[in-house]
This record gives sequence, C-alpha cells and structure tokens, in this order.
Amino acid sequence: MERKRHHWIVRLTHWVNVVAVTIMVGSGFRIFNAYPAFARKGELFCCYPWEGQPIPGWLTFGGWLAGARNWHFAMMWVLVVNGLVYLTFVYLHGEWRELVPRRGHIRDSVQMLKFYTFRRKDHPSQGKHNALQKTAYFMMPVVGLLLVLTGLAIWKPVQLAPLTNLFGGFVWARYWHFLATIALVVLSVIHVFMVFTVDPYSIRAMITGKYDDSLSPEARNARPFQNLGPPRASIRPHTPRPPDSSSAA
Amino acid sequence: MDRKDFRLLRALGRRDFLAVGGGIVSTALLAACDSRGPKSAEKLLRYAERKNLVVERALFRHTVMDVASARAHDAGNKLPSYFISKTLPVWDESVRGKWALAVGGLVGNPMKLTLEDLQKLPRFSYRINHYCVEGWTAIETWTGCRVSDLARLVRAAPEAQFVDFESFDNGYHESWDLESAVHPQTLIAYALDGRMLEPAWGAPARLFGPVKLGYKNTKFLTRVMFLPKANGGFWSDQGYEWYAGV
Repeated sequence: MERKRHHWIVRLTHWVNVVAVTIMVGSGFRIFNAYPAFARKGELFCCYPWEGQPIPGWLTFGGWLAGARNWHFAMMWVLVVNGLVYLTFVYLHGEWRELVPRRGHIRDSVQMLKFYTFRRKDHPSQGKHNALQKTAYFMMPVVGLLLVLTGLAIWKPVQLAPLTNLFGGFVWARYWHFLATIALVVLSVIHVFMVFTVDPYSIRAMITGKYDDSLSPEARNARPFQNLGPPRASIRPHTPRPPDSSSAA
Repeated sequence: MDRKDFRLLRALGRRDFLAVGGGIVSTALLAACDSRGPKSAEKLLRYAERKNLVVERALFRHTVMDVASARAHDAGNKLPSYFISKTLPVWDESVRGKWALAVGGLVGNPMKLTLEDLQKLPRFSYRINHYCVEGWTAIETWTGCRVSDLARLVRAAPEAQFVDFESFDNGYHESWDLESAVHPQTLIAYALDGRMLEPAWGAPARLFGPVKLGYKNTKFLTRVMFLPKANGGFWSDQGYEWYAGV
C-alpha cells in the first residue's frame, strides 16, 4: 500500500543538505589540516590525543587552505538557509511531532536496541520513525545549531567575543566545532548504514516521496542485513485452491 | 544474488537506483582526492566572498577590543618566524642607508619616519591574540604607535578608504580597509614582549592588529599608502580572502 511519506520540501532540503554537509565537512577537514592541533603556540592542549595528526587527504575538499576556506564560507550560507527552511517547514507542517522525543522515549529506545541485538524477537511497534531514528533525526539539527554557533565563534573571535567566550575562548570553541563535526559525521554514517541495511525502500521515499507501508522495517521485522526482501506473505498471498475437477480425468 | 535480492532491486525501481547512484557518484567525484572542486564554481565562490565582505564589514565594531586570556601563556619564542624571501630579510644600513617608513598616497603631508620618529608618537602596548589563518593562535605583547595616529599626522584624505602596507620582504604587501586600519589595536609595532623587534618577527617595524588574520599583518614595513581603492595583497591575490577580519 503506497502512500506519500515525505513532503517535497523535506526531500529537497534533505538532498541539498547531503551536498552542503559533505562539502562543509570535507573543506573543514582541509582547514583543520593546516594546523591539526588545538594548542596555542607555546602551550599544550589537555584534551585531544591526536595533536599534530592530520586527517587523510582523500577525506578533504578544497585542494588547499584558501580553496577550502572559500568553499567553507560560501557553503555555510547554503547549510544555514537550507536548515532554516527545513526547521520552519517541520514546525509549521506539524511534522516535528514525529521527531521530538516524548515520554517513554528511553523505554522505546531500549526496546529497539534489544531487538537489534536479538534479545527481542518482534520489531517494536512504532509511528513514522522508531525511537532510535527519532534520536538521530532530533540530534542532527541540535548538533547543526552547535556547529553554526561554534563556527561563528571561531570565524569572528574578536567581533563576536561574548559568543566565543561562551565556548571557553577561541581554542576551546575550535575544539567544540571539531567535536560537533565528528558527532555529525558519526550520526550520518550510522544513518546511511541503517538505510542500506535495514530500510533501503526509504531511499525511494526520499526521492519520489512514495513509501510502501507493507515493506516497512516493522512489517518485515528487519534488523541490519536481515529480512531485506518483502515479507513472504505479500509475495505469495495464500489463496485456498478451489477443488480441481479437470485433473480427475 | 538470490531471487530475493532481485525482487528487492525491482521493488526499489530502476529510476531510483539511477538517481541514488548518480547522487553518490557525483558527491564522490566532488569530494574526491583533495580536489579543488569544479572550475565553474570559482565564480560562485568569488560572489560569496563579496557578499561575506558586506556581512563582515557590518559586523565590525571600532570599539570592540581583543582581550587575551589572563590564564593563557605567552608564545614567547614559539611565535613562528615567517617571511616569503629565500632568507630572513634584514635591513642592511650599510647598503640601504638608514631605515625609514614612508607614508604617502592620498595624504596632505607625505612623510618619512625613522624608528626614532615612530617611537616619539603616542606609544601603546597590548597583550593580544595573533589569529593565524592556519587555525593557531599565539599571545604576545606588541608595542608601537597607532595607524590612526599616523593617518592624522600625514593628514590622510577622506577619500582614502584603504591602506596598503608594503614591505622589503620580496614585495610582500597587504591592503586593508580603513576602518580596520584605524582600529585602536592596529599598531605599527616596533617592540615585542618589551624588547625591540628582531628580524625574525619583522624588524625594524611591522603591522600588527588582532582584528585581522595574521597574513594581513605585513612585516618588515617600508611604506604605508593611503589609497582610494583596495590594492589586494600577497596572499589575497592568490585566493585567500582579502578582508580576513576576525
């Protein structure tokens, strides 16, 4: 049974976000590689075990520091405007109700984890998203907001000094900006992994908007790599055979 | 592949797969191997820089001062020495004569100021951050005279909305917007941490202001020009942001 799952605004902002985040992270890594440490000159930094270790070049974007900075400072507007369009839409459209954790969220998350780790047989019942998805999709804008604020703090540490000081000064704001990036990357990698191993049908839903509820992970009882195909019952619906008279001859 | 997988492919539909595949391939190409990105994007990036310039100038406040954390250590000798010449540029008096800073352009009273002349101007010391484009910072105490006092002294014309700072370091220069140049913490610095500036850090005098990234702060100064138009700079001309305000 097909129905519309995602509004076109959600689909559009999703794919714009894919491009914007990819370029922001890649160029951000290139910028980081110009000085892959957090200590001030003449100081040691307490809280980063890989001081001085650059990120592999193939994960970076922009070619050189100036190129990466130009991309970063151009794409940041796309990211912010796109994010605002998305958040405004989910608020006005009421879709935020599907994304904001509510009472019993922890309990539901534990049940999902139990299911994924084979300590529960049947898929917990859910609305549009399961509890773990809700956590991920709710955290992404939160991490995004943190990225924008820490980004502003290290872009203008003098002119926006109160903001920079809120994060503990330039050195720490740069550190939080980096950690928030890593958090966003981890969330995105898990998201893509789960899409391909649990609910590949949702890719179509994010492109055309159409989704078949009889193929939902809940209907398929799907764990990563398990029950990817349509449920048996829907492939070969069981219909009782009428008594066959012709074979009697 | 067993039959179940084929059904899965069919269920997703060929068109979707093409779209997803195309998306993945183009994203991968875009991000591949430290690439500089598509050439056609260059225009768009320039456009973004021009728009950012408007935002950055609007954010700039003449009264906002940089304050270095009291708990943080000074960089001392850990402050990197940087120049573009093959060897450290040192002003050789026996060859070039006595060093003096030329101040000219759209000014009523062009001047040549020796180090002693500069030291006679009102003296300011600030313990401030050096924000490098690479991401590091360093705290130092810079002493010198204000560019704003220099502008008054030579009677810079109102049309001179830009200032170019030139050096004897193989032609290195960077031009600034006037607002940033006459910020109270923008100094023609001749002393660092209480000692006269050494060649390693830009002697005899260099520009230092915390309101711009390090590369805007020309060392080994020779000439300050008040101009009606921006004049780029060594790194700005190569693709680094011209405004580079922090």
